[in-house]
Amino acid sequence: MMPETTDVETINRRRMNLALGIVVLIASIPILVTYFILMASSFANQMITGSMVGQLTFTLKNWILFFEGKLTVASAAVYSTWDILRYIFNTFIVAFGVMLVTTALATMAGYACSRMKFKGRKFLIQLLILLHAFPGVSLIIAVYALYIFSKGPIPSQWWTLYAFIYVIVARAALEIPMDIWIMKGFFDKVPWEVEWSALIDGASRIKVWKDIILPLVKPGIAAVAIFSFIAGWGALIYVLVFLPPTEKTLATYIAGLLAGGSLEVVHLPVVAAAGTLYLLPTLIFFSFVRRYMLQTSLSGIKG
Amino acid sequence: MVSIRLDKVTKRFGKVVAVNNVSLEIEDGKLYVLLGPSGGGKTTTLYLIAGIYKPTSGRIYFNEKDVTDLTPAERNVGLVFQNYALYPHMKVYDNIAFPLRLRKEPKSKIDSKVHEVAKFLRIENLLDRYPHQLSGGQQQRVALARALVKEPSVLLLDEPLSNLDALLRVYIRAELKRMQQDLGITSVYVTHDQSEALAIADKIVVINKGIIQQEGTPEQIYENPRNVFVATFIGNPPMNIVKGTVLEDGTIETTGSRLTPPPAVLEKIKRLKLKNILMAFRPENAVVSEHPMEGRFSPMGDLFEVEPLGRDAVVTVTVGEFVIKVVMPTREAMQLRIGSKVHVNIDPSTIKYFDPNTELNLEYIEA
Amino acid sequence: MKIRKTSLLFFLGPALFVVALFYIIPLFLSVYISFTPMVDWNVNRYLTQFIGLQNYERLFHIVMYDPDMRAVVITTVVFVLVTLVINVFGGLLLALATYFMDEKMSAAYQGLWLLPRMTPIAVYSLLWYYFFHSSGIGILNSILLKLHLIDHPIALGLDPKYLPWGAWFIIIFVNGLVGVSYGMIIFYSAFKSIPKELIIAARVDGASTTRIIRHILLPLTKWHFTFVMVWQMFSLLMTYAQTFLLVEWRVVDSTWGQTWALYVFRTAFTTTKDQGLAAAASTFLSIIGIVLGIIALKALGYEKMILEPKGDI
Repeated sequence: MMPETTDVETINRRRMNLALGIVVLIASIPILVTYFILMASSFANQMITGSMVGQLTFTLKNWILFFEGKLTVASAAVYSTWDILRYIFNTFIVAFGVMLVTTALATMAGYACSRMKFKGRKFLIQLLILLHAFPGVSLIIAVYALYIFSKGPIPSQWWTLYAFIYVIVARAALEIPMDIWIMKGFFDKVPWEVEWSALIDGASRIKVWKDIILPLVKPGIAAVAIFSFIAGWGALIYVLVFLPPTEKTLATYIAGLLAGGSLEVVHLPVVAAAGTLYLLPTLIFFSFVRRYMLQTSLSGIKG
Repeated sequence: MVSIRLDKVTKRFGKVVAVNNVSLEIEDGKLYVLLGPSGGGKTTTLYLIAGIYKPTSGRIYFNEKDVTDLTPAERNVGLVFQNYALYPHMKVYDNIAFPLRLRKEPKSKIDSKVHEVAKFLRIENLLDRYPHQLSGGQQQRVALARALVKEPSVLLLDEPLSNLDALLRVYIRAELKRMQQDLGITSVYVTHDQSEALAIADKIVVINKGIIQQEGTPEQIYENPRNVFVATFIGNPPMNIVKGTVLEDGTIETTGSRLTPPPAVLEKIKRLKLKNILMAFRPENAVVSEHPMEGRFSPMGDLFEVEPLGRDAVVTVTVGEFVIKVVMPTREAMQLRIGSKVHVNIDPSTIKYFDPNTELNLEYIEA
Repeated sequence: MKIRKTSLLFFLGPALFVVALFYIIPLFLSVYISFTPMVDWNVNRYLTQFIGLQNYERLFHIVMYDPDMRAVVITTVVFVLVTLVINVFGGLLLALATYFMDEKMSAAYQGLWLLPRMTPIAVYSLLWYYFFHSSGIGILNSILLKLHLIDHPIALGLDPKYLPWGAWFIIIFVNGLVGVSYGMIIFYSAFKSIPKELIIAARVDGASTTRIIRHILLPLTKWHFTFVMVWQMFSLLMTYAQTFLLVEWRVVDSTWGQTWALYVFRTAFTTTKDQGLAAAASTFLSIIGIVLGIIALKALGYEKMILEPKGDI
């Protein structure tokens, strides 16, 4: 019988627990403070910093200004409410697109890598690890050149749509090698007998995969889907590079507000409201998949 | 050396009571076997003695010294895990030397002690190897060496033979017994294998559902089980149970066959006002035949199966709701016809009587 | 046999297509671009002009003679080495701390430390924009002012007085806080996969917590240590998104806050839009990536981890 404890119970762990808890808490202060200040400032009349805590008041004004497209109280709206809603929607479209492409491709290819024999299988699997670690920055120049190249024959009224499709697939491509590995890990755990018995009954490989195997790896699919959604939701560089300047996401909206480091044109608590809104979906989805981080970690998560 | 005493020890894991109010005394220098089905609480008891678990309530004493709050190291116990738990990255020598190094003993002393215990367990030639290069039996010895090298007050063994193949198990358990007697070390040995327990124990403690069912020498446990659980757990096949009705005249009747119990039993039946009684007997104490035999208690049933196992055969008979297994010479058993009505002729002097309500052996109920 | 081919194509085809389109072709195309004088994304005009090694010669020249480019090289080396040490050992310490603490507390802390990794880059950089802001509104400045360590707000990442250390400190701090969680989860799950009997056996043998760490946990996770080391080195060499915003937002100096990867990106997309030169600079990253990757694959014995599919169907 395996012991149920991870350590000997007669050792007094309360002191160690307390000491470790305090040490890690102190180390965590930068994270706690910065996240708290961002979120709290979005509800305050000015940025919360140590010197002015006394003069703070609670307000929803920043959120209202943000949705009105205003950057300061005094100025006129730079963006329309419609713009802001479209930016939020764009962010969602990119995230959702990245999620769909990544999850579909990783689930299919993960199965093939786990269960099918083919020439170059080992090579492909190792290549995937290499690709995962491969410098995105040394690819992005050529990926953009390809984009300009390929958009040439397309009528210009379709360019925006094409840009969205391209940014989604290109961003998904960054996630795919890793997620194939993660899915392969989940498929590896499905007993072979399950598949054999269905194949012996005469079902096709694709049908077996769809009806029998997929339901067994649902947690894996969910984990990959949420991880890739979070990745797409947070995408910055690809969106900045590929989408036309009029089609912002929350990432490029915020990036644009602070460009050049000027304080004059924007009321910082309004940016804090935008940032808090942008952070929320990540926080919610992340709380679902936190435990999968450990399961999937040994196949390597982007560092 | 050391005797161990558990005083009303209870261990809960959440809502599950793994060990329930157990009091037990383990004599100095003896080999005690904790025997029971898996999940019965025997390993938990062992870990409580080791100091890996802390009791939810109750105290544990080594030689009248309260060790309840002491760590395993402070209790100075040697523990052999079921899967040996050898450190995979250390050579055999370093595995054995590890406890001594932690005590910061001088190098020369460590070296001589490691060699001494390695010689004793005949693993001197393995000291340079890694655990994964060893066979199961060799790993088991290394684990034992690691437990013994620190000259522990008590030696605790958690199913030490269960990962070995059957032949090796019989061989090593004899060695273990010899070793324990040579060293005279107080030992607690956990197993679910009753034949192992009967073979090596000075005393057996049968544990089920977190409660001690019976404590005694192997002979006591085998010959006179305290309750129905022990009766049906020990022996291969274990004891058979038949239910009988107590008649007005003090005789017991089952499927038309009558038996007069010994006066002492009869007296207890009367005092407890039992209408029914459970009777238990060992498979080797009965013979199956077509006709009832003289001087035997012979309930009738249907012959279900005959399994020849060489010299002896196991004959299965259904008597009412009970399934009876009898061990008898194959030659005689093969003459019986499957499906026919047969009599199970039990030697009346070997029958044990149990109260059907408490399932206790009447002999253990105070008169 | 024919059916097998179709189903293999079905499962693997789309992923292979994407991999080819976004990794393999760009890799070669990028090297090709480095042999062209491409600027301003004028693909039609320059893509057919072959200028040999000119871009590499230019790159070599500016590395040798342009102090700003020297700064990029030095910053890259300092950034990668220092952050690597912080990430690996910080991750190890966090993993050990969370391994030995109460499960609930451990889960909470791990979630907290994974948060920066999950946070959208724009938000994460925004946090540090506030923190290191050069006015009195900046958190760091307001704390230092309160403590009377400074008498007026400082621009840690910009002011020549503090360069290069101020800029280095910021980019290392900001990236380190994301990076440690990688080591944390890898080491933590490695510790968790050690049979707990070994820990308990060591306790029974009399080992203290520090002894258990030294004699059991660390020796048994050497592989993971190498793994984290190699992978962190990769990603630190290649990472640029956080630093990009810090530079764009004028939190850190564009010279001393710029690593080689960021230089490639900015040269291609924001500053001189000199794609030929940027491609030449990126070729070095690709070579380092491929060489180190192959060495790591061999050294880490990944091949052994790949299970063979059973049966022939």
